[in-house]
Amino acid sequence: MEVIRLEGVHKTYSDNGVPVHALRGIDLRIEKGAFVVIAGPSGSGKTTLLNVMGALDAPTQGRVFLESEDISLKSKDAIAAIRLEKLGFVFQAYNLIPVLTAMENVEFTMMLMGIDQQKRRERAMEVLGELDIEELANKRPNEMSGGQQQRVAVARAIVTNPSIILADEPTANLDSETGANLLDLMQRMNREHGLTFIFSSHDQQVIERARRLILLRDGMIEKDEILEP
Amino acid sequence: MLLTIAWRNIWRNRRRSLIIMTSIVVGVAFAMLTDGLSIGMVQQMLDNQIGSHISHIQIHAKGFNDNQVIQNAIPDRQLVERALGETKGVQTWSRRVITFGLLSSALNSSGGLIVGVEPERESAVTSIAASVVEGSYLSGKPNEVVIGRRMAEKLGIGLGDKVVGMASALGGDVGSDLFRVVGMYQTVSSEFDKKHMFTSLSGMQDMLEMEQRVLEYAVIVDNIEDVDRIAKELRTTLGDGYEVLSYRDLMPMLVYMVDMYGQMMLVLYVVIGLAMIFGIINTMLMSVFERIQEFGVLMAIGMKNSAVFRMVMAEALLLSAMGTAAGMLAGVAGVLALGAVGIDLSLFAEGLNSFGVGAVIYPQLTASSILSVVVIIPLTALLGALYPALKATRLQPVTAIRYV
Ligand SMILES: Nc1ncnc2c1ncn2[C@@H]1O[C@H](COP(=O)(O)OP(=O)(O)O)[C@@H](O)[C@H]1O
Ligand SMILES: [Mg+2]
Repeated sequence: MEVIRLEGVHKTYSDNGVPVHALRGIDLRIEKGAFVVIAGPSGSGKTTLLNVMGALDAPTQGRVFLESEDISLKSKDAIAAIRLEKLGFVFQAYNLIPVLTAMENVEFTMMLMGIDQQKRRERAMEVLGELDIEELANKRPNEMSGGQQQRVAVARAIVTNPSIILADEPTANLDSETGANLLDLMQRMNREHGLTFIFSSHDQQVIERARRLILLRDGMIEKDEILEP
Repeated sequence: MLLTIAWRNIWRNRRRSLIIMTSIVVGVAFAMLTDGLSIGMVQQMLDNQIGSHISHIQIHAKGFNDNQVIQNAIPDRQLVERALGETKGVQTWSRRVITFGLLSSALNSSGGLIVGVEPERESAVTSIAASVVEGSYLSGKPNEVVIGRRMAEKLGIGLGDKVVGMASALGGDVGSDLFRVVGMYQTVSSEFDKKHMFTSLSGMQDMLEMEQRVLEYAVIVDNIEDVDRIAKELRTTLGDGYEVLSYRDLMPMLVYMVDMYGQMMLVLYVVIGLAMIFGIINTMLMSVFERIQEFGVLMAIGMKNSAVFRMVMAEALLLSAMGTAAGMLAGVAGVLALGAVGIDLSLFAEGLNSFGVGAVIYPQLTASSILSVVVIIPLTALLGALYPALKATRLQPVTAIRYV
């Protein structure tokens, strides 16, 4: 089943009046339960593509369908609601709200969804347990290592059972062992819960785990292959 | 949870928050003290006027206030006294004869108002008896006079000295009598003291050949809030031949001043609030700019603009609410403490006395001051946070997250 589809997506930025073509005609379909890595050299448009898929950035041209719904036509608040309910994000850094504990960070999106405190707590604790980071529950981000923060970020991203989890170079700031652990975690969530993950990375150890690898170059898909591990 | 976040964000930059809160505390406390002092001062003026002579309500014959002559005497004493007895809320009252006259000693003479009173009744209505600084108050015997110390100085007389009082009698002749000074009084108003002398009602009635007639009833009510109602009731009961005026009607300038001070203080609070707005704008802008990436993440994970807006506003509201609360605590404590002991302004007493204010001012706390503070200061803080909060909602998640 398809979760997201891009049709003829272009994204052109203006860099002080000079047009920068970050994406030039992307056509793409991703199935539910996929574990996709978008690779490519720096500046090839990976982040831009992820942002367009995550409804964080609107395409200059083309359309994006999330679960068959055209999201390019929605209002700002509707798009925020879509991000809240259907998408999970893991950024490269600065993922967590510094004044909240790990537990509260994980609860936050559920709070925005209006889920009551008791349920939030239970669910957050469940996910922290599943990711084996219960001991971080009451710690604030500045009391955690980078790897721990990224794990909490993963917990926050998956806690609402989103249709897609988008992770833009999630391991870029981690050493390779910590990065590998984080990937293990996401791989397990993909396998056990059928959660759809889409990464961008130029990190070889991320690319190795891809079940589908999309290679970007100059804003275009150069190669798109299914790799069965 | 938004409140929790707002609360913790305040303590993230402890120093900056404390600085803005301190400025609110100082502003609020200062405004409340100024307010308390001003209101205390004008209220004291009003209270002094009421207490030394005016009383709460005065009853006269119709036309007396336009033409204050003894011919305009109360038409029917029984009617008035019955009405006073039957009207709820009337505490006490006194009968008066009051006329312009001349007091002469061997050396000098001085014009003023000669007031004939019944000592016992009058001391329940006004505080002149308590203001006697030398000698004693009237005992009820005829031919005693109590004068202001200022007047005694002017006339060059002391206790026990004799003075001649003169005033035009009912028939049109000049009535005169010999009085002995039994007491000298001093109120906080030197103007009042220069003008008023007190003697017995019956003596005055004799001197002015007006038999049992009186010119004025001075009334004290139980609760000053009811003064308008009681005056209205008396007006209805007494009908056309009488003028019933409350202290508000009798001292419109002073009453107006009290009201005006209340409004001026409102302006003071607004000015202080506006002065603080810039601090709030600055603090909140810094707070937003420091957290651009954080806002980016919050918006990216699905926080709506309205929630972002509320979060910033909540922060400003908490800051100002804490500052206001602490400032009010300090202000109320200050006003209450100073209200108990009073602020001694003896240095300026000369000047104050001519305004009818004592040397010691007792600051007062009014409900409207507290209300003004509670409403105006947090409201202006919210006003100041408006711009930073809007600024936060204008952020685009993608650029905000990338912002370094
Ligand atoms: N906000 C922006 N304004 C102007 N140019 C941009 C902006 N964001 C990205 N770009 C440009 O778009 C291209 C693709 O960027 P990006 O998607 O970040 O690539 P990647 O993530 O693969 O490094 C780059 O040339 C980059 O400089
Ligand atoms: Mg990138």
